[in-house]
Amino acid sequence: MASTNTTGYRRGLVDLGKGQISREIFVNDEIYQEELERIFARAWLLVGHESQIPNPGDFFVSSMGEESVILCRDRAHKVHVFLNSCRHRGMKVCRYDEGNAAVLTCPYHGWSYSTDGRLVGVPYFREAYHGSLDRSRWGLAEVAQLCLYKGTVWASWDPAAPPFLEYLGDFLPYIDLTLDAWDGSDGGTEILSGIQKWRVPCNWKFPAENFSGDSYHNISHRSVDLAGIGPSGSGRRDMPELLMARKLHIAFPEHGHQTTSYLLPKEVALPPAYQHSSVVSEYFRECEEARRNKRGDWGRMIALVGEVFPNTAFLARQPRTLAAWHPRGAHETEVWRWFLVDRNAPAEVKDFLRQYYIRYSGPGGMTEQDDMENWNYAHAASRGTIARRYPYNYEQGTGTEIENYEWESFRVPGVVCDLTRAKSSEHNLRNLYRRWAEFMEADRWEELTSGRRLGRAEAAE
Amino acid sequence: MSEPVNIRLLQPGTRVVLEGGATAEIVSNPQDGVWVFARFLTSPDDPDRIGSEEMVFAQEIVEVGEAS
Amino acid sequence: MATTRKDGYRPGLVDISAGQVSREIFVNEEIYREELERLFARVWLFVGHESQIPKPGDYFVSGMGEESVILCRDRAGKVHVFLNSCRHRGMKVCRYDEGNTPVFTCPYHGWSYGTDGQLVGVPYFREAYHEKLDRSRWGLVEVPRTYLYKGTVWACWDSAAPPFLEYLGDFVRYLDLTLDGWDGSEGGTEILGGIQKWRIPCNWKFPAENFCGDSYHNISHRSVDLVGIGPSGTGRRDMRERQMARRLQVAFYERGHQTGVYLFPKDQATPPSYQHSPEVSEYFAHCEEERRKKRGEWGRLIGSPGEIFPNTALHPRQPRTIAVWHPRGAHQTEVWRWYVVDSAAPQEVKDFLRDYYIRYSGPGGMTEQDDMENWNYAHAASRGTIARRYPYSYEQGLGFETENYEWQGLRIPGTVMDITDAKSSEHNLRNLYRRWAEFMEAESWGELATWRLARAAE
Repeated sequence: MASTNTTGYRRGLVDLGKGQISREIFVNDEIYQEELERIFARAWLLVGHESQIPNPGDFFVSSMGEESVILCRDRAHKVHVFLNSCRHRGMKVCRYDEGNAAVLTCPYHGWSYSTDGRLVGVPYFREAYHGSLDRSRWGLAEVAQLCLYKGTVWASWDPAAPPFLEYLGDFLPYIDLTLDAWDGSDGGTEILSGIQKWRVPCNWKFPAENFSGDSYHNISHRSVDLAGIGPSGSGRRDMPELLMARKLHIAFPEHGHQTTSYLLPKEVALPPAYQHSSVVSEYFRECEEARRNKRGDWGRMIALVGEVFPNTAFLARQPRTLAAWHPRGAHETEVWRWFLVDRNAPAEVKDFLRQYYIRYSGPGGMTEQDDMENWNYAHAASRGTIARRYPYNYEQGTGTEIENYEWESFRVPGVVCDLTRAKSSEHNLRNLYRRWAEFMEADRWEELTSGRRLGRAEAAE
Repeated sequence: MSEPVNIRLLQPGTRVVLEGGATAEIVSNPQDGVWVFARFLTSPDDPDRIGSEEMVFAQEIVEVGEAS
Repeated sequence: MATTRKDGYRPGLVDISAGQVSREIFVNEEIYREELERLFARVWLFVGHESQIPKPGDYFVSGMGEESVILCRDRAGKVHVFLNSCRHRGMKVCRYDEGNTPVFTCPYHGWSYGTDGQLVGVPYFREAYHEKLDRSRWGLVEVPRTYLYKGTVWACWDSAAPPFLEYLGDFVRYLDLTLDGWDGSEGGTEILGGIQKWRIPCNWKFPAENFCGDSYHNISHRSVDLVGIGPSGTGRRDMRERQMARRLQVAFYERGHQTGVYLFPKDQATPPSYQHSPEVSEYFAHCEEERRKKRGEWGRLIGSPGEIFPNTALHPRQPRTIAVWHPRGAHQTEVWRWYVVDSAAPQEVKDFLRDYYIRYSGPGGMTEQDDMENWNYAHAASRGTIARRYPYSYEQGLGFETENYEWQGLRIPGTVMDITDAKSSEHNLRNLYRRWAEFMEAESWGELATWRLARAAE
C-alpha cells in the first residue's frame, strides 16, 4: 500500500503531467482520513436551500463531510448552521430530518438550545451546577462561515477560508445557470421537496468526477436513450439546440470548479421542448425567450453539468438538480439530491418536472442507476492488492486547453477545452484532481489562494 | 435529434451510416451494446478506410439502412 | 490487539515447537491485510479448469485473493488470466460468471479488450485522444505467471515465484490422485459444471486447516454417518478399504503442502464400492484394476483430503472435488467448489456422482454443513477481547514425525506421520502454519525457496 506522504500527492499519486492518477486516492483509508481534515473541514460545502426553511423555527438536518449539521432559521429570521451534537455529552440534539421547533432539546440529559444556538435550558442549573456553568460558552457549535446565495446555503468550518463568492470566483455565472429562473430572473428557484438521500458503495470522488464533466460515459446511458424518458418522449433530454452549439469543458484551475456547458450561436431559433405537455411546452418557450432577451450573450450559454469543489454537483437544465456527495468512509458515499423548479411556475409545470426529474435522477432514476452501477463496481474492482498498483488514465485531450476562448464574440471565462469535434476530454477531471492534490498538500489557506498558476503550468507539460 | 440506434439488434449484413457520412456493413456483433465489427463501404473523409474492417462505436452510428 | 511484526510471527504468534498458534492470526484485521500482500500476491493459486473454457472466446470469471480475475481462451486458443478491472477507471469489465465473447467491453466508458487482453476499442480514439493514447500500454492487467497442469489452471502474481512444478515439488504426485482418471490415465478428468460458490462467516484458514488432514473432527460428522449418505448406502463414504491400509499424514516442510493418504498392502484387492448402482460399481471396479496395473506400487496409494499452500483444497476420492477458500476480509470466506469426474466415464456414472457429490459437499451438502457450523462458531467465539488471548493447541503427535517412511516396499515422499494406531495427529496442520509464518516474515522469494539454497550449498 502506497504511503500517503512519502512521495507527495502531486507527482506520486496525482501525476497530471502524465495524465495518471493512483487508485490509492480512492481506496486508501489513510488518505480518506486526511481528506476529512484537509478538504471537508476547509472547503465550502452546500448544506441546503432557504426555501426548505421559510419560517422562524424551521430546520433541516443536513451534513458536512461525515458530520450531521442543523440548518435552521432563528426567531429573528437569521439562518444558522450548527453541528448536530450536544455540547454536554455529544448526543445528536436533532433526530428528525426536518421540521419546526422552538428549541432543540438533547434527549440524553436535557440540555436545550434555542434556534440561534444559545444554551437556554440546563436541568438543575441552580441545584447541580450551583448556577456557575457559563451557559454563554456552551451553545451549539456553529460553522465558521455561512453564505446565502440565490436561495442556496453554503458553509465552511474554516474561518481562514476566503468568502464564498471569492471561493467561487468567475465560476459564479455558471452556478447562476442552475439557480436563476428559466426566464432569467435572479434566483427565482426553489426546492421541490423532499430531497432524495441514498447510499452507494463507492468513494465520493467517483460521482464527483462524473459530474465534473464526464460525457465520455454517455454510452452507458444508451438504454435510457432507447427507452426515451425525455420530456418530449424521446432520448433522455430535449437537446436539439445543442447540435448547433459549441460543446465546452470549462475549468477554473485556481478554484477547482468545472462545468460542461454549451455555447449557442448568436442567432438560433428556439427549438421545441417539453412536447409531452402543451402547458409545460408553452411555459418553457416563453421563459426561454424572456431569458435570451434579459441575458444577452450569457443567454447563449447553456450549462449541462458541473461541480463546485469538492463535492457539490449541479445539473443545470434537464433535469435541474443539485447534489452533494457526502463521504461515508473511503468506500461509501451518501448522495443527497435537491430538485429545483421555478418558484413562480404553474403547479402543472412543477408536477410535470417532478415526474420527469425522478424518472431521470435519484436512486430510482433510470440515468442515475446506470452511473451507480459503474461507480460501485469500479470502486470494488480497484480495492484489491493488485488492482491498486495500476493508475487510472486521465490523459484524454491533454494539451488542447485554451485560455481566453472566444466564439462569435462571446469570451468564455475559465480555461476551455472545445469538445465540439473532440467529443470528449478529461480536462475538467484533471482540474478536479489538481485542486484536490493542492488541498491535500497545502497546510494553510494562503497557499491555496496565492494565485499561483501552478495548475496551468502543469497542464502545459 | 435522430433516435438512438439500438446496436444490439444489428445483424451481420446490415448497412449503417456513420457520423461524417461514411457507410459500413456489419460483419459481426459482440452484443455488448457498445461496439460492432463493420467493414467500410464508403468513407468520404478517409478513402483509405474503404474495405477495412474496424470496430465501430455505437455513438458513431447515426442511421440504419437495409440489410444487403 | 497484538501487533503483527513487533514480536514476529515465529515464535510470537505461531510457536510450532510449543504446538501453539495465537487466535490473532485468524481474527486480526491488520494481520489479514498483510496476508493479502505477503501470501495471496506471492503464491500460486488455483483459478479454474480448462474444461470450463474449451473454445476460443470462452471465459470463466474466477478470483485470486479478494480480486476478481477473468480466465479465458483467446482466439488463438491460448489461455490467459486477467485482472477484471478496466485500466481507464477500474470498472469490472466482465460481469457474468461465464460465457463466450469476442471482446470484454467495459460498461462505463466503453473501453474494449480482446480475449488476449489487448486494448482494441477506445471510443473517440481519434477525436478525443488525438490518437495519442498508447493503447499497447493500457491492455488488461495480466497475471504474469500461469500454468496449465492436467486441465487445472494456476496463476501467480509474483514474477519472482518459482515455476508451478517447482512450487509443488514432489507433492505433484499427490495432486495427481485428484487429477488423473480413476483408471490412472493422465489428467483424464473434467469439471462437472457448474461450480458451487457460497460465503461463510469465518477466517479462510479454518477450512484450509480442516482440509489439510484434520480427521480429528470426524466425530462431528457422526450424524451423517448415521444417516448413511454414502454411495453404497451406509456411512458417508465407502470406507472398508481403509481398515486394511496404513493411514498416513504427509507434509512437505519446505513447501507448505500436505495431505492425508491411505497405503494399501501389496497384494490387497480394493473392496467393493458404489453398491447403490451396479453400473457405477462395475465402472469403478474396472477402473481400480486398471489403475493398479498402470501405476504399479504407486497404485496402492489412495488419496484423502489435502491442501496446496495456501488455499486450494483437494478431496481426491469420495467425493472428488477441488475447493478454493477465497478470503473476503478476516472474518469471511467465499468457498468455490469444483466437482471432478472422469471425462471418459459413462453419463450414468457422472450423474450418479453428481448426486452423491452434492449430497456430501457444498452449501447444502450434509458433511460440509457440519464443518461450516464448527468453523463459523469457532471464529465468532475467538474474536473477543478475552478469547483472543488464548492460543489454540496444535501439539497432537508432536515429535512422532518420520522421514523416509517406507512400508511394504513403497517409499513415501514427504515427512510422514503414521496415524494408523495414533488415530489422529496435527502434523499436517502444523505444517500449514509453519509455512504460513515463513511467508508472513520473508521479504522475498529468495528466502522462501529454501530448497534452492540447499541445492546451491551442495
